[in-house]
Amino acid sequence: MQVQSKIESSEFSNLNKVIGWFLILRWVACAGVLCSLLFMKLIFNYDLTYQVLFPLTGTLFLVNLMFTIYHVFIKEKNLSRRELSKFFNIQVILDYILLFLLSYFTGFLENPICYYFVFHIMLTSFIFSGGIVFIYVGGLLLFLITVMIAEYFGVIPHYPLSKASSAIYYDQMLIRGIGLCTTLIFTAYLNSSIKKRIEEKGKRIEIELDRYKSLDTIKSNFLLQVTHEIRGPIAALKGFHEMILKGITGEKNLKTTETIRKANRRTDNLLTIVDEMIDYAYMTAEHRIHYGTTEVHIRDVIEANIDQFSSLASEKGIEFASNCAKTTTLNTSSDFMNIIFSNLISNAIRYSYPKSIVTVNAEKHGDMIHIMVKDEGIGIKSDELANIFEEFYRTRRAREMERDGTGLGLPIVQKAVDSLRGKITVYSEEGNGTTFHIYLPLTSHIQRELHDPRGGTNEQQTNSHHR
Amino acid sequence: MIHEEVLMSNRRILIIDDDQDILESMQALLEYEGFEIRLADRVENGIEMIEEYDPGVILLDVMFPEKKTLGFEAAEQIKGKYPEVPVFVITAINREYAFDFVKDDISAEEFFNKPIDYDRLIKKIKKYTQ
Repeated sequence: MQVQSKIESSEFSNLNKVIGWFLILRWVACAGVLCSLLFMKLIFNYDLTYQVLFPLTGTLFLVNLMFTIYHVFIKEKNLSRRELSKFFNIQVILDYILLFLLSYFTGFLENPICYYFVFHIMLTSFIFSGGIVFIYVGGLLLFLITVMIAEYFGVIPHYPLSKASSAIYYDQMLIRGIGLCTTLIFTAYLNSSIKKRIEEKGKRIEIELDRYKSLDTIKSNFLLQVTHEIRGPIAALKGFHEMILKGITGEKNLKTTETIRKANRRTDNLLTIVDEMIDYAYMTAEHRIHYGTTEVHIRDVIEANIDQFSSLASEKGIEFASNCAKTTTLNTSSDFMNIIFSNLISNAIRYSYPKSIVTVNAEKHGDMIHIMVKDEGIGIKSDELANIFEEFYRTRRAREMERDGTGLGLPIVQKAVDSLRGKITVYSEEGNGTTFHIYLPLTSHIQRELHDPRGGTNEQQTNSHHR
Repeated sequence: MIHEEVLMSNRRILIIDDDQDILESMQALLEYEGFEIRLADRVENGIEMIEEYDPGVILLDVMFPEKKTLGFEAAEQIKGKYPEVPVFVITAINREYAFDFVKDDISAEEFFNKPIDYDRLIKKIKKYTQ
């Protein structure tokens, strides 16, 4: 239904354009006819009924002048489609009449100009639907055949183009008539069918486009469902682990505690992997749709994310050094900030040496926010450094140190930073820790694609720049 | 005497969630911390219980089989009827985009993700019940 209305509305805007185009064509035709007549009269000395032909050309000129003025006039007044199409039909009918008269007074079938009806039919069949084309072409053919018969039987006079050819005119009339009529019929048929195919293709493209757009809605609903379906059971699992570790389920021994701790650790890894995969799917969606922006307190985000990994950190004896003013805020998506910090902080902990310090700082720097996440861990070899933002890439040492991992964390961070129009840089030396610097513009707006299924527009989130 | 009564009333927690396992572990872990727990696996049942149970804090799940954002609506409903009762919204969904919501629009005091960080949860419950 939606598709249908789109096509109609696109045709509507076309009709106005088509009328403008027709007006220009008619001016060209007007000039062409006038030149040809002058040539025939002054240079080739054809003996034509100029007393009719020049006024006819003048009529064409006047009619088109009126149309042009009217067209300028209605452009401002947004006519309804019905009125516009009425105006257009009048033009088309007048075109047919004028061409017939021009052709009739210059020898009719004698003169190849009668084949100019082909152009009229092409334009007619291109613009109108099948039924109307049939009426136009049928009417024209009927009319032409009537005129031919009337000419043949001398009911109306024949205006010869030249004396020489008009001598055999009546002998050749039948074959010329058949030639003209079949040409017109084929033209109408071919044009209508080509137009139909083009329209079908256009409709298919519109449908595909709609389907493609709705895919993003499906995708985000899918992400929601998947997140819930996977995180739910993991949450239940961790709840039970916690019960055992707290001794609620009964007496526990060292071995049980150790086993459950391991299970819990792997469960955490599983959760990280799931989150990374879902975040990756989200960050790579063509049209990112569901998010809002709020004033995000960076300090709260840092604290929440440090909190989230506090047990992992304390297991390794890692301490945090964090510095961020309470006033450091950014009007952005809290999701993006969480994605950035949780990935960088969890990496820092995972690839740190035990009993080391992870530093997380954020501060305002002019019109930027500078974020730094620094660890004293295994570092990254210089030849591997270039690849760390590649999907699924994990350095050799990282794989040795931490079995579980998707290699999607840093690509996700980079995509989030890119979306916020920021910059990310990394400094690392093997065995000497890694430092990530992120610079986010304070005025950063999340890149928002044109498509918004909620139909809402939020100026703040709109950004016309595309990567 | 009065002081003790206030303390007692504050320790009542109502948990509304459709996941029985989550309810079980939350009940165990919070009872372990000395709270009194009442459970509801349906939003309507939970809301009905508020009047009579008078909880100090309500822990409310968001996604229910009936509707994915039922918890948000329930939070609004509870806040409309019992504005003084703190509501903590708990959801397995850790990203706002998935819900198409911004925390500021939801009438709840606190937000928690599953798996629940119990240290933070207990800290927050204590903050709101003192």
